[in-house]
Amino acid sequence: MNNDEKKLCDELNLAKEIPAPADMQRRWHDSIDRAVRHEYAMRPEPARPFNFTSFFWGAAVTAALVAGIGIGAFFTAGPTAIQPNSIVAQNTSTANSAVPGAFTRSLRVHLRDTQQNIASMPIESAEDRTLLVLQIIQQNRIFERAAEQNNSDGLARVLRAFEPILLRLAVDNIAAEDADALREQLAFEFRVMLTKLKRDTSNDTHST
Amino acid sequence: MHTHLKLIFVLLALSVASTAVAQTSQADQDKEELKMAALEALMSAPSDLALPLVIKVLNGNNSDNLKESALFILSQIDHPDATAKLLEFARSGDGGMQLEAIRMIGINGEDEAIAGLTDIYAAGDADVREAVLEAYLIADDVEGVFNIAMNTQSEDEYEEAVETLAAMGAHEALSKLREAKGPSDALITAYIISDNDAELRKIALDGSDIELQIEAIEALGIVGANDADAVLVEIYRSTASEDIKEAALVGLLIGDHDDAILALYRASNNVVEKRDLLEALVVMDSDSMMEVIEEALGDQ
Repeated sequence: MNNDEKKLCDELNLAKEIPAPADMQRRWHDSIDRAVRHEYAMRPEPARPFNFTSFFWGAAVTAALVAGIGIGAFFTAGPTAIQPNSIVAQNTSTANSAVPGAFTRSLRVHLRDTQQNIASMPIESAEDRTLLVLQIIQQNRIFERAAEQNNSDGLARVLRAFEPILLRLAVDNIAAEDADALREQLAFEFRVMLTKLKRDTSNDTHST
Repeated sequence: MHTHLKLIFVLLALSVASTAVAQTSQADQDKEELKMAALEALMSAPSDLALPLVIKVLNGNNSDNLKESALFILSQIDHPDATAKLLEFARSGDGGMQLEAIRMIGINGEDEAIAGLTDIYAAGDADVREAVLEAYLIADDVEGVFNIAMNTQSEDEYEEAVETLAAMGAHEALSKLREAKGPSDALITAYIISDNDAELRKIALDGSDIELQIEAIEALGIVGANDADAVLVEIYRSTASEDIKEAALVGLLIGDHDDAILALYRASNNVVEKRDLLEALVVMDSDSMMEVIEEALGDQ
């Protein structure tokens, strides 16, 4: 700033610290809090560089890539894979029978990798744990949307049900035993869903 | 010597006893793990064979952990008896079992079970009510949450229901709530979360409650709709209220609309107003700041 600019700043009182009235400060703080909450809601992934030295993150990135490829294959294969005549009425879970194979396969990869990531989750590092859980949630939402688009409401509900459990797992001050219990619960539910998907795929194969 | 022998005997006895306890504990754990594996395997069995076995686990003298896992299997069985059993536990289960059964009703998604959540919510404590809202969210049942928001007399419950609707992206239900119950702080937050700038705009232009109007104006900046800058500039220019003007400026600041603030600065002939606008550009660390200062110096 040159002298003239400084002079103008002085005239405009820009250089002086004038405390804002209390109610105005409160409103500004509220607005900033809201903005932060909104930013947080819009960006599940904290803007932070990955630590590629960690095997753990390597596994997470691999999982994301595999799932991404799977979803890509699902959307690419979508129009040709969904054939009205391919719906098998004999199975009780008819909605799943119409699910394209590419989607089912990538969902199985997602469940398996998520299960492994959660099993090897760094419980002692709250920050790493939170970051990983937020990544899992983001991926989970992609599969949830894909299930909805595919009229597979049952799968969408189960995927949606994982999210509150995952969010509890992401809490900073969770006790180790509570985290273990949640991980075990998720692991069980993932395994059950994998078995169910395998059963439905097998039923489809046998009936076609 | 006699005392030493006694001590050795006691130590030996303790050692044998602890080994026996450890073996029993290990045996129990093995048994539990086997039961858990069997439950998992039930998922590959046909529903009519799996259902009685799952119900047997639920009615038997098993650990809560095993029973809660059985509830998940039950949620995946497409049979009226499975739905009835889930409702039974959701109504009369103890603590964690009840909450888990409610979650499973959401996962199961059967209309009859979802309909049963209304009474469970009404009769339940805070934990049960929270679980019911979560079940509605899982089942994507907007109507269930909307009815809670409409009928509750509790401000906290209303806020939780509104928050759930926001998480569900239930724009229509949230609009209906504003029409039925009027604008509120909870609704403004919900509109922010669900990116509903259309509803925020209505509150921002509604002068019936200046506090809420101010919040909505600032929220428009947070949501950052495409033409939010134009709306905020219009509000800024058309109002006589200094508070509303201030809110519009805050909205422009949060939304990072420095071009709009610059336009207001250039259009203004009021030195005090110009100073406020320049302050906002400084806070934003706008590229226009030095340009404005040079312009002002040129005028002198």
